Amino acid sequence: MSDTDKPDTDLTGNGPTNNPADLAGAYALHALSADEAAEYERYLAQSEQARIEAAELSDTAVALGLSVAPVQPSSALKAGLMAQLASTPQLSPLPPAADSVTPDEPTATTDAPPAAIPIGSGSARAVPGAASTSASSADKFAAGKGSAAAPGSAAERAQRRWFQRPAGYLVAAAAAAALFVGGTFAGQALYGDPSQDFAQEQAASLAEINAASDSQRASTKTADGQDATLVWSGELGLSAIIVDDLPALGDDQDYQLWYIGTAGPVPAGTFDSDGSGTAWRVLDGTMSAGDAVGVTVEPSGGSEQPTSDPIVAIQS
Amino acid sequence: MLDLMTAEFDLDASSTAPSKEELLARVAEGDQSAFGELYDQIAPRVLGLVKRVLIDHAQSEEVTQEIFLEIWQTASRYESQRGGASTWIMTMAHRRAIDRIRSSQAGRDRDTKIGIRDLAVPYDHVAETVEVKIEHERVEKAMSRLTELQRQAVSLSYFSGFSHREVADHLHIPLGTVKTRLRDGLIRLRDELGVGA
Repeated sequence: MSDTDKPDTDLTGNGPTNNPADLAGAYALHALSADEAAEYERYLAQSEQARIEAAELSDTAVALGLSVAPVQPSSALKAGLMAQLASTPQLSPLPPAADSVTPDEPTATTDAPPAAIPIGSGSARAVPGAASTSASSADKFAAGKGSAAAPGSAAERAQRRWFQRPAGYLVAAAAAAALFVGGTFAGQALYGDPSQDFAQEQAASLAEINAASDSQRASTKTADGQDATLVWSGELGLSAIIVDDLPALGDDQDYQLWYIGTAGPVPAGTFDSDGSGTAWRVLDGTMSAGDAVGVTVEPSGGSEQPTSDPIVAIQS
Repeated sequence: MLDLMTAEFDLDASSTAPSKEELLARVAEGDQSAFGELYDQIAPRVLGLVKRVLIDHAQSEEVTQEIFLEIWQTASRYESQRGGASTWIMTMAHRRAIDRIRSSQAGRDRDTKIGIRDLAVPYDHVAETVEVKIEHERVEKAMSRLTELQRQAVSLSYFSGFSHREVADHLHIPLGTVKTRLRDGLIRLRDELGVGA
């Protein structure tokens, strides 16, 4: 088999002498069309030896992948991902023990605040105010190709799982808040309305900006040297600021965001930080082309006009 | 509730950083902080591979986001007895990068240019860590044991995302030849690298 320079007897590769085993290499390298891959998988189902070869060649392909130099992703990518987790359902394990929904289960659901349970499989559907926007990445995934199970049944199972595990969902949502949203929305009750809605809306908007086809970003440092990134989409007219290790402010002060265009600074929302990790906030209002985004420290609740110099300003 | 959860995980975790396999198992249970940790461990590898295939940075970050959402969604399907977590994730990453190429005309237009580049320079000669450098040299050495045609076919498929039919067109050789070159080339690589030994 590894005698590599033997003459080719099958010149077209399409003849009746075709051996499905020959597809092993192309399959491991993802070089087959969907139909061809399906054909090879039918062959795999019949041959233990072929399955072993397929696994080994797939591992060999991974060795190629691991030889590539790593590339550090932007911090905005992680922030966007973490924000999407709470509204992205997970598949239950394959031996579908969890699939047997007993009549008792729904009672558990009623213990949880309704706002905390996603209705659909994607954040856009789960979040009020984001319903009219284009499909989120999660939606695209659910409808997309190559998932482990049929999208319909996967979504169904995932949804069942959420309804079975409302406590798990709340913990997950709380963890997300603690990691990335907590700083931003400090001072607001986590589970109470409308802050939960607000957090969800913010998370969905950030995910949407990241997924937009014209998504762009620019980075700079604050006056104190923290990394600050602006991500925006001109098509959506939305932007978000992401700052690492932004210091916490006292109760009497807030960070305030501004869109700065030709008409001068326009207030675009306030936030606070818990002083560690990544604080981020999707700006209120609509971004216009060429706007800069600034952050100032203002008295709690914000000001009509900036009363201090910006700690950071980023040109879009 | 959060404090309780953390305490439980601390009991389970050893003093060293948890393995990717352990993290995946926790991700399957909906543990977002485990997901964050897993991301930190392997995202640069994933983005490195995706960007090697797609070239464009913004598009590569987008696909990387899709890959990690798939990890989140399907972590419960990972079976540790079938292989390491890195293998599972990198296989998924490569498939997603290829899917992106196949789904976009932009990817196709890109193929011709990149294909020519790949034939000239099969690897980026940038190795940022000792681990990567060693792995890179090991693979490069193994690749050097392939015949020229095997090496070209494997490289065009894996790093440029060509289908085997496109490889045949590109190298002006029959599809049947490409199939055997890909298979024999990978088998040779497997043996050189000691995979599955």
